Amino acid sequence: MRKASSLTLALLALLLVLPAPSRVSAQLASELRTDDDTLAVKPEARPLFRLETTPVGRDAEILTLFGSLNGLGPAEKDSYVPLVSILRDTLGDTDPENDRLRHVWMLTYTRPSALQRVASAVPFLYSRVGDKRKAAKNGMPPAVIDLASPERDVWHRLMWTALQNVVFNPYGFVAKTSTGALHHNSAAYRQAHLMRALAILSLYEAETGEKSPFTATERSEIEGRLLLADKAMGGLVDDAYLERFRQQQTTKWLDVRGHNWELLRQRAEAEGLYFEPLEMPDGGATHALLWVAREDVTATRERKFDGRFLNIKSPWGDQRLARWGGYSERRHFDAQGRAVPEPVGGGRTSELIPLAIYGLDNPKIPALLVDFRDATNPKRREMSRRVIEEAARNVLALSRYGGIHYFLGRTVFDFVTSRRGMDLNRPSRLRAYTQLKLLLSLDSSLDRDLRNEISERVEWVSLNPLENDMEAEARLARQQHAALMAYAKDPKGLAARLERDRRSELTPAEHGKAERVLLRFANVLSLGRYKHRESGTPDALRGSLDRERRLAYHRRYLREVARSSPLVEVKWNIEDVRRSLKVVAELRPRADSELARAAAKIFAQTADEETRRLCLDSLYRIDNEAAKSALLRIYNAPDTSQELRLLTADYLRSALREEQRIAPGDAKAIAALGQ
Amino acid sequence: MRRGTAPGNILGLRITALLFLTLCLAPAARAAQAKRLVVIKVDGLPYESVDRFVRERDPRTGKSQLPWFEHVFYERGTRLENFYVRGMSLSGPSWSQLDTGQHLQIKGNVEFDRYTLHSYDYLNFIPFWVANVAGVRTDMPGVELLDELRIPLLADAYQNQERYLSFQLYQRGTRWTTLQRALQNRITSRTARELFDEWNTIGFGGRSILGEQMERELFARMKDPRVRYLDFYTTDFDHAAHHNRDRATQLAALKELDDLVGRVWVEIQKSPLAADTALVLVSDHGTNTDERVYSQGYNLVKLLGTAEGGGHHVITKRRLMNDYALKGIYPLIPLIYTTTEESFYLKGQSTSYPTALVDFDGNERASVQLRDSDLNLLHIFLQQLKRDDLSPQLRRAATDAFFSVIDRRRPEWRRTLDELKEELAALHRLVEAQRRLVESLPKKWTKEDAEAGRDRAAKRESARLDSWTGDEREYAAYYQSLASLLSLDPARMKPSAVRVEDIIPRGAMGEHNTLHELQNYVAGPAASGLALAPDGSLDMQRSFVRVNYFDLLGRVAVRNNVQPLVESRPVDFVAVRVPVESLGALEGDERADQAVWLYGGPERQALILSREHEGSLKLRYLPISNLRQGPDGRIQFDRAQWAAGFPLELWEDRALETPAGSTRAEWLSGWRTDLEWLRAAHRARYSNAVVGLHEQLARHATAMTDPDEPGIPADEKLIRRFRRRQRHLVESDLLILANAHWNFDVRGFNPGGNHGSFFRPSTHATLLLAGGDAAGIPRGLSIREPYDGLSFMPTLLALTGQMESGARPVPVLWQRGFRPFPGRVIRELFDAHKEQGTPVAGSSKAEDAP
Repeated sequence: MRKASSLTLALLALLLVLPAPSRVSAQLASELRTDDDTLAVKPEARPLFRLETTPVGRDAEILTLFGSLNGLGPAEKDSYVPLVSILRDTLGDTDPENDRLRHVWMLTYTRPSALQRVASAVPFLYSRVGDKRKAAKNGMPPAVIDLASPERDVWHRLMWTALQNVVFNPYGFVAKTSTGALHHNSAAYRQAHLMRALAILSLYEAETGEKSPFTATERSEIEGRLLLADKAMGGLVDDAYLERFRQQQTTKWLDVRGHNWELLRQRAEAEGLYFEPLEMPDGGATHALLWVAREDVTATRERKFDGRFLNIKSPWGDQRLARWGGYSERRHFDAQGRAVPEPVGGGRTSELIPLAIYGLDNPKIPALLVDFRDATNPKRREMSRRVIEEAARNVLALSRYGGIHYFLGRTVFDFVTSRRGMDLNRPSRLRAYTQLKLLLSLDSSLDRDLRNEISERVEWVSLNPLENDMEAEARLARQQHAALMAYAKDPKGLAARLERDRRSELTPAEHGKAERVLLRFANVLSLGRYKHRESGTPDALRGSLDRERRLAYHRRYLREVARSSPLVEVKWNIEDVRRSLKVVAELRPRADSELARAAAKIFAQTADEETRRLCLDSLYRIDNEAAKSALLRIYNAPDTSQELRLLTADYLRSALREEQRIAPGDAKAIAALGQ
Repeated sequence: MRRGTAPGNILGLRITALLFLTLCLAPAARAAQAKRLVVIKVDGLPYESVDRFVRERDPRTGKSQLPWFEHVFYERGTRLENFYVRGMSLSGPSWSQLDTGQHLQIKGNVEFDRYTLHSYDYLNFIPFWVANVAGVRTDMPGVELLDELRIPLLADAYQNQERYLSFQLYQRGTRWTTLQRALQNRITSRTARELFDEWNTIGFGGRSILGEQMERELFARMKDPRVRYLDFYTTDFDHAAHHNRDRATQLAALKELDDLVGRVWVEIQKSPLAADTALVLVSDHGTNTDERVYSQGYNLVKLLGTAEGGGHHVITKRRLMNDYALKGIYPLIPLIYTTTEESFYLKGQSTSYPTALVDFDGNERASVQLRDSDLNLLHIFLQQLKRDDLSPQLRRAATDAFFSVIDRRRPEWRRTLDELKEELAALHRLVEAQRRLVESLPKKWTKEDAEAGRDRAAKRESARLDSWTGDEREYAAYYQSLASLLSLDPARMKPSAVRVEDIIPRGAMGEHNTLHELQNYVAGPAASGLALAPDGSLDMQRSFVRVNYFDLLGRVAVRNNVQPLVESRPVDFVAVRVPVESLGALEGDERADQAVWLYGGPERQALILSREHEGSLKLRYLPISNLRQGPDGRIQFDRAQWAAGFPLELWEDRALETPAGSTRAEWLSGWRTDLEWLRAAHRARYSNAVVGLHEQLARHATAMTDPDEPGIPADEKLIRRFRRRQRHLVESDLLILANAHWNFDVRGFNPGGNHGSFFRPSTHATLLLAGGDAAGIPRGLSIREPYDGLSFMPTLLALTGQMESGARPVPVLWQRGFRPFPGRVIRELFDAHKEQGTPVAGSSKAEDAP
């Protein structure tokens, strides 16, 4: 009995942890656009995206990306819909060095309705249960990520895992399955929106290019962090790896996309079907449609069909296709087989029936997303992995690491299905669906009837009760954006929250490692109610933040310089490097061994005399043992010039005099240098 | 006493004068000589990409996107704006040419021996490593083959302790310590935090682990002043460009390479021979990649398996759809058999009787060998004669036809048998001698021996014995089958008693098909069975399904054509070596030594004729149509007027630069040297295809394939003939060239880009040089004069003072087997020497020793 009540309490706590249901906002509803089709607009003449900047207090701004969702219904067709907002904390100046990106809102990402919330906790319910009607008009909409503290995701994951295993699982099947389903759906819902945010930002960058309002570093940070949010320990990764990871992931996806494009084209060719890539506005074909010619269906009844990789039934002799009353298109082709608007001599005309849509960004093989003859086909494939995992874990109580037999069996099964390119048990269909929804929203070139049919089928396939359909998402995005803007304008709203966050941001600068661990414990033990924030006047706070952020900016830059080129001036603008070193010297950082290592490495990797002197100066001013050790090594190095050796000796002696932090052994050596 | 000029005094004067001259010239010579070579070998790096990104500025730094390329090669070195592959733009052949400076002996990444199905897989490291561990192989297959042909590599110009060789296609030996230390150092060279970050982001890529270790070893060996040759081989750009067409990916791969150039350059500056070191970066070919286009694949293996394509069981050396096959994880790739259900007469016999061999590597071309059409005929006859339901008339006619085929081929096959018998006997004697040699070799080696490479040399002798023993066994089996076939007696033959496999060799393709056979290839019995002619003989036309492969390949087209820049026809043209003696229509000035036929359609054909003239190679392009070969071997064709649409599109290509004073028609209709062709056509769409097709399809003699060299022992003569036979047996029946942005890769997909063709993006490679103050490499020099792969080796040897005037290596290299090089030294590098007029590409036959 006590166990049951504890479980109830735990479940209630869990529901509270999740974002609360929204309240209806009649006012926002009235703001919805009701344009009709009679308005003459030329969407293709307009850019796909526009950016709007909204100030937050006097020292921050929200950058909101609006998309022209030409693919959606009349309500959205003629206007831009807010899609992604990013909070940039500028500290009130125009210097990008002390800016910090914080929350990223994918504005279609919302708190679930009560019904959605309950449904998402029902085990083995792989279906949507309707849309959320209205988003909350007050408060801050849920952000998909806080770029200023990405590690928070890792702790949340660890907390959840502990909670699941220690608190919920002992209560038996119902508790285990419902909490598991709830967590899984929430995570998948967030992941889908992370992917969508990433896709939108990539499209925006492709459209704006060098005119982007984001710096190269900001772009790496946003996209890199969004990508890493999917990884268990991704939040702990050093900033230095973000750009390389972003580049590698993009390369991997484009590679996969190209492979799938070609695989599908070849399979279509081999089976006598028609292949049509569907392109995003940046020209990248993320999906493809397969068609069959009506005349071929009846003329080639006996033709063999190899469904491998296509995962649809043979169209040859299929009575449903012979009597097809659904969507079809008449297409003309020239003698080279290229689609042309009008019939041409030597060409052919065919009535094409859509068979299937595939996502091309899926590892190994194209992911079947829509089967126009069998709506349950993609859904079964979509469900296969969830069913396998949940049945094994929750019903059969099997854990991958719980027994050697299941471990081996599952490993072999996963390997074979993956290696053979079987469209079952696939972990990454989510991205394909997410992109398809985006493509349908953005692309106006698809015939409206076809688009609607695809859209309906995609929504039907969705497994997640937390998902909303595309029209609802556009509506919710507008509502959430309005709420965010209101929150931004409220002095007690976003600005105040930002101020609190800034005080937390200063914690690492003010406290050592051990203290920070204790503060984190306090946070955990108080279930998050206590969060340490530094005190001080707003101006002092700003001053400290400015210093710390500029230091972080230059630390990142100098580390990148140090690790990337054996002769700094060949690859980098040496003026920029000198400037960074001067800033470091001026700010006199403490306990920054990374910076010390970078300065020492740059000293070794440049022939520029002034830069070398600046490195020495920085090492002298960085008050920690690593910096002084590096100086001592430079002093002792045989290839150090006499002039620089003397300068180094001066710095070392001064450091000793000033009682800077120096390792005891180094201090002795410095003392022995004499005057 | 009258003071005369004694002979001794004259000699003394001469010596003094010589010494004086030597002293005067020595500084200049030294100034132009590098003592050490560091070669970065980059697979598939197109010059266009390098040049484009060197010129592009990085908005973040204001510097070049490839700052080290700019710093080292553009500002402090020399770059060749027009450096091309000579032959196929394919790694196996191209590296063999760069590494030897000799005409092509290796014509594909994979080659199959028609008699034995022995496969030469020049790219596959894993079987080599396994064989190396087992002690049966010492060098990569390409090196083994070149050793048999006595063609030394660039690295052979240096003693074992003088060189550091990275892992590469033409690799001598292997270092297991490199593999072992690669993993070890990967972990120890990073902090725990760095390992964590890498594991979470970029992972622990196997290729980069090995690359890092090779780099470490390279830098370590640079510190040793005894080491005079070092190389570093990387395939990363090639890999990236095959997979991804996008600018960002290719730029990222280039930036990695740029960083490598920087690290190597800085290490050179720190090394003891910095001033005397030449750093060279070379690529084996370019890559045909375009951001707007996915490269589309066409499955030739499948085509050959269809009834229309001849119903062949096909052998490849790459597993089809490798990434999706469970067997694909098995690294020791055997012969891959692709069985067809549409075979006309060999159903279920794919492993015994494959009838087609396909090498599609490189992917913009495929090399196809088909079983001798007459072997198909005989096989079908035997199967038919074994039937009980054949009418007596048909049986008689079929028996007659069976023996008439044998009789028609008898002289040729008899000659083959006789020659093989002699060659196998000589090979047997060689094997026995080698066995004795191997037994006499020491089994234990000192550290000094290992350093000098003596242990490896001994293992090489064992490997050679193993290889020769295999040759003897395999060819003997083919010999036996052919002998049995020729021994059949029409009077005594009982078809029911004959076992097919006794007379039709299993897994053998037999002799090359003639053009006539390729135009009338016997693919199987007709659906209605054998048919009689009115005179009671067998109707050879009606009785068989025949395929004209030129027509078939010319007609191939696809339905789905969704990319505006890609044609619907995957095949551009087919190239075939033509027996010049059969070209009766060529007279007078058209007389040629060798000929290549290009088929782009019935009306779109050409002959590329070649001949040696006063030590230089001359080539001529003849537009023709309707070439056909009769059963008697005579080849006929119609001459065609110059017009647009012929293979290689020379007539219509505006980038073709004919010399001033001659019209395009005049110039194109004459004999031109290979250099003239290169200069005129290198900027054209097909760049140096005329030269390249000759290089690829013509036969080039080497010391070891010239049995007619006077004064050599009888067995040596026979062994040379045998080696020449082996080279001829790997030649393709059909060389199929893909249209732009098409490829024949069926191992997987290469949507990013491919190479293998003669399109300029594929053939335009990279050659960059830079050096220390004493290395004598001009700074900031850009050479516009076009050069090809034959120039690389002699130029590097000249740069290091290992060449005499002309194209002759110094005596010490001559003793090591180096012979005159057919390619030009890049004279712009040697202003002081003013080298001019060196032969372009004359015969590479062994010349007299100096």
